[in-house]
Amino acid sequence: MRKYSENIMKIVFLTAACVSIIAVILICVFLFASGVPAIKEIGVSDFLLGDSWKPNQDLYGVFPMIIGSVYVTAGAILIGVPIGLLCAVFMARYCPKGLYKVLKPAVDLLAGIPSIVYGFFGLMVIVPLVQGSLGGSGKCLLTSSVLLGIMILPTIISVSESNIRAVPEYYYEGSLALGATRERSIFRAVLPAAKMGIMAGIILGIGRAIGETMAVVMVCGNQAIMPDGLTNGVRTLTANIVLEMGYASGLHREALISTAVVLFVFILIINLSFMALKRRADR
Amino acid sequence: MKKSKLAKVLTVSLAALMVFGLASCGGGSGKVSDKDITVISREEGSGTRDAFTELTGVLQDDVDKTVDTAEISNSTSVVTQSVAGNDAAIGYISLGSLDDTVKAVKVDGVEATVDNIKSGDYKIQRPFNIVTKGEVKELPADFIKFIMSKDGQKIIEDEGYISVNENAEAYKASGLKGSITLAGSTSVSPVMEVLADKYKELNSGVTIEIQQTGSGAGIQSTTEGVCDIGMASRELKDEETSQGLKSEEIALDGIAVIVNKDNGVEDLSMDQIMKIFTGEITNWADVK
Repeated sequence: MRKYSENIMKIVFLTAACVSIIAVILICVFLFASGVPAIKEIGVSDFLLGDSWKPNQDLYGVFPMIIGSVYVTAGAILIGVPIGLLCAVFMARYCPKGLYKVLKPAVDLLAGIPSIVYGFFGLMVIVPLVQGSLGGSGKCLLTSSVLLGIMILPTIISVSESNIRAVPEYYYEGSLALGATRERSIFRAVLPAAKMGIMAGIILGIGRAIGETMAVVMVCGNQAIMPDGLTNGVRTLTANIVLEMGYASGLHREALISTAVVLFVFILIINLSFMALKRRADR
Repeated sequence: MKKSKLAKVLTVSLAALMVFGLASCGGGSGKVSDKDITVISREEGSGTRDAFTELTGVLQDDVDKTVDTAEISNSTSVVTQSVAGNDAAIGYISLGSLDDTVKAVKVDGVEATVDNIKSGDYKIQRPFNIVTKGEVKELPADFIKFIMSKDGQKIIEDEGYISVNENAEAYKASGLKGSITLAGSTSVSPVMEVLADKYKELNSGVTIEIQQTGSGAGIQSTTEGVCDIGMASRELKDEETSQGLKSEEIALDGIAVIVNKDNGVEDLSMDQIMKIFTGEITNWADVK
């Protein structure tokens, strides 16, 4: 009897596991089946390297959007990583217990805020700040980078913090015993030991930044042109899809799905490098 | 000891943040009249953008010449918010969505008001259409009768749009039962929802489903018979009427050209609007 029920539960667990795998496979099949023919019709190089996106003239070049996504993500990393890393060091090493009780839930809360709320925050606070100090409309590469930098903080902080904590205490104590200061011990002994884990956190942050949609679309300006300055507007791959999906039809709609294919490939590369890094870190 | 040190660091950094915030708020408040124009448009395929570009001449030889550097927003509320927050911005929204956070300019000296749209003096206006195919079933036909009645047209006016049927008669509840499906323009949907609620109040056995899919998709669904009535914020194209579709105007909507309240510009000519949105005029100083 017990064996019987055990088997039933095994099947239940297996089905649950299959659901997620099937979902991934279905998404892959759907994306490539509906996206790839459009890329063929437009022409691979015209699609990937074309620098003008004008659906009503049948011009579908996503290169400005690819560059936009890369720039915005790079900016977010430049802003988010130093702050996140230092915050993680503080939380793991310096933070008094009382403050930690406040700081930790605050970081967790930051991760739970819906992206549309971040978007409104960006539109009402960061956009006017940038507009006032740098001129222009305020909806630009810099604004999106700052906003995304804030959004990836919780990912980087929590992954880095747990990896710093995982470093054996004797690394730190040994360094202190050799006469190094606290700061030196942390930055020269503890952080290098946690390097792989921190890198994994950064890659997860990149994944979050490149896939972010609702917040970015509200503050990036959405011009489908090559940005040539920090105060120029950009359009990211995700923004391109969400902006035009509602009204698109025919080849335009398929081109948007192809944009999703490009995004999917990006995410795939990021996740593969994350797994590779993790394997190296585990060894 | 350690705690007080930490508190000091926190206080100093907070103070620095506040100073930075204040400094950036205070700076950069030049005069609007010599700033570069921030053009704000809607996304490709939006009914509002289609109507606006066609009416103002931004659409030239079927090519949308909207300047590449125009900011793109995918909703009316973001356009309004952007213009309200940027004193050098210009954008366009449906007149029914206009609020007092922004300023609507006169076009060719004509103010964007209900009367001026009715008389045709305000040029940037578009029809709200409903689209049907062939013989209309009894229940949808009765709903259309309600929309065109005195009661229906009054709701349209109350929502800030312009009624088209001056001498409409009052509507009498028919007592029909069943369900109606509508699909189409996101611009028409808000007023259609109010109309549907009122109709359901009068005819208790009726359910109405409204799908916001965009004008093009709504017309497509009507052709395929997926919905009873399509909603479109533009005229039907020839290839659509040839498939047996009929459209009926239920209301008019003006498109207001909006600028920031601090902007001194009150009046723009149609030509200036076209040149601003195509990127020929890039600075407010050139708008005289």
